[in-house]
Amino acid sequence: MSALFVISVTAVALAIVMARRRTIAVALVGVQSVALGIYALVNGFGESSAFLIGGVLLVGKGVLLPLGLAWVVRRTREPRLIAGELPALTRATIAAAIMLATVELIPSLGLDSRAADQGAVALLVLGVVIAVLRRSAVFQAIGFLVAENGVYLAALAAPGGLPAVVEIGVLFDLIIVVAVAAAFTTRIHDEFGTGDTTVLGNLHD
Amino acid sequence: MIEVLVIVAPACAVLTGAATWVARTPRQADQLNSAGAVLTAALTLILAGIAVADAAHPHHGTWWVLDAAGGVFLAVVAVVGLFSALVAPSHLATSGRGLVRAARGRAMYYVAYHMFWAALIAVPLMDNLGLAWLLVEATTGASALLVAYSGTRGALEAGWKYLVLTTFGLAVAMLGIIVLYVAIAPGDGTLATLDWQSIARAAPGLQGGPAVVAFVLIVAGLATKVGWAPVHNWLPDAHSEAPPPVSALLSAALLPTVVLVTWRVVVALGPALTAGTASALLLAFGLVSLAVAVPFLWRSMAWKRLLAYSSLEHMGILAVGIGFATPLATAGVVVHVAGHALAKSLGFYAAGPLLRHAPHAHERPVRGLAFANPPTAGAVGISLGALSAMPPSPLFVSELLILLGGIAAGEIAVTVVAATLLALGFLGLAHALVDGLVGEPRVKRWRSPRSGRRLRRLTVVCGTLMLALTVVACLLPGSSMISHLMEGVA
Repeated sequence: MSALFVISVTAVALAIVMARRRTIAVALVGVQSVALGIYALVNGFGESSAFLIGGVLLVGKGVLLPLGLAWVVRRTREPRLIAGELPALTRATIAAAIMLATVELIPSLGLDSRAADQGAVALLVLGVVIAVLRRSAVFQAIGFLVAENGVYLAALAAPGGLPAVVEIGVLFDLIIVVAVAAAFTTRIHDEFGTGDTTVLGNLHD
Repeated sequence: MIEVLVIVAPACAVLTGAATWVARTPRQADQLNSAGAVLTAALTLILAGIAVADAAHPHHGTWWVLDAAGGVFLAVVAVVGLFSALVAPSHLATSGRGLVRAARGRAMYYVAYHMFWAALIAVPLMDNLGLAWLLVEATTGASALLVAYSGTRGALEAGWKYLVLTTFGLAVAMLGIIVLYVAIAPGDGTLATLDWQSIARAAPGLQGGPAVVAFVLIVAGLATKVGWAPVHNWLPDAHSEAPPPVSALLSAALLPTVVLVTWRVVVALGPALTAGTASALLLAFGLVSLAVAVPFLWRSMAWKRLLAYSSLEHMGILAVGIGFATPLATAGVVVHVAGHALAKSLGFYAAGPLLRHAPHAHERPVRGLAFANPPTAGAVGISLGALSAMPPSPLFVSELLILLGGIAAGEIAVTVVAATLLALGFLGLAHALVDGLVGEPRVKRWRSPRSGRRLRRLTVVCGTLMLALTVVACLLPGSSMISHLMEGVA
């Protein structure tokens, strides 16, 4: 896997950390998933099963899930941007610092290139960072997708690829989790009048 | 024949869920739920019986395994799943506004419940790490909906926290599985590469770096689902906000089932690691979980929240037992899984009538239950007495076995720390027990003949099973079953 491709999909994740609007973030994660899907198709070309699985994953992750999240954004209109979040540049600086520190520390994972090792870990870390730094429930769900794209990148860079059952199973589980997250997001918005997850802070000891 | 049972047992739960969805009346849905649950539990217990009776010869298929360890966990999942399904109608009859509109609320509950249960039954049967991961992840969606079933703000918060934390944790575990897959078979792997036996065969030849990375990622990821500290933040909230039958299934079946997957990873991948690495990680999770849980057991807490922190303590004990990896500790782990399941589920079932008649118990500790309602007091007393490891609770024997196992392993310092934390936990729970039963009453007397009768029956059944388990626990060390478990859990 080329370093340029890895840097590109990682840059998209950093852009999601900075994005102000949920619609932009949903579009960006869609672009990231489509890029990974196209990479899978190109590399699986000539092997009918790999091509088919790549196609299913491209449609599922690149089209269906972003469309689902776009529907949630439409259904849970926020009158204004969520206040109190860190400025975009600060968020990006924190995310980049955590990501760079982690990818430098991580030893070889045995994927097809060092860039792939670092890209997989970077996306996983950025997914978690998005969930921690962003307060909107939709952004936290997007964090799942970015983290899962890191896992998908690792699967694409695994010599010989992962078993089809596992790849399709992961997609199926992801669809269920995102569907449940969408149900929660709409219900949280209905109950609290906002998708800001800081309102969910009453349970503690 | 066995392969048919392996498929039919979880399928029966799935079909029961589907049948309740198309039921025409709530009463019909309740009846289908109960009948389906009895059938599912019966089939699962047959599988468990076969596994335990023939512990020396595990049965294998292309993707499934039926071994002694799986048999014990299957029995636990079957019994707790059955009890939770049978008490659900009375809970649903009295629960008010829910996550979804009332007309579909009951159907949604049953569908999510039986899907969750089906996945839990299937996990111990999986002979493959990848498939086990898929099923553990599959429990997340259904169980998150069940946690938030009441639709209250607290339930939404608990469900969301559970969904977010466990999903990220399992993503980390999946990355570890990919690293392991690549390390075992670079370029020519198949699904069978991730079979437990394949991992165990390949482990001695694995290079240190990727094997250690894979192990740490997998165990740390699964730890979020087990609820081991410091990645346990979802656990107290989810257990306290979920409907009581769901809390019972979460605590007594889900957490131990994920512990089994972790245990299988430790046994299969352990030879690839430097001596003591796997044990050190498990012991660290175990001691940190105990240390985090104990201060909360000393505080005056709402009943279900107290049970939740007790779950953290008991999962910590299991981690310590697996970390010691001696025959005595292994016997302790097996008994502890079953004893904890019975005691904890009884505690959550007692929460049903308690919260109906004393709603403040959701926020504050209960006191003087013996004066308010003897059947509830009986269930609370037996549950808390057993969870605190008071003799003749099977947990007393299992904790003793685990500590003796620690001494046998030469881990004296860890054993002393664990024993101290367990003693402190015992004192905290004993105080809660005395205060809860005979403290100055905070609740008015209530009489509820039907729910009282049901709870009394459950108390007798769980109490009897626990006493039987105590006897088994005394006979288990040195038995052939433990020898087979020590040879490998798959």
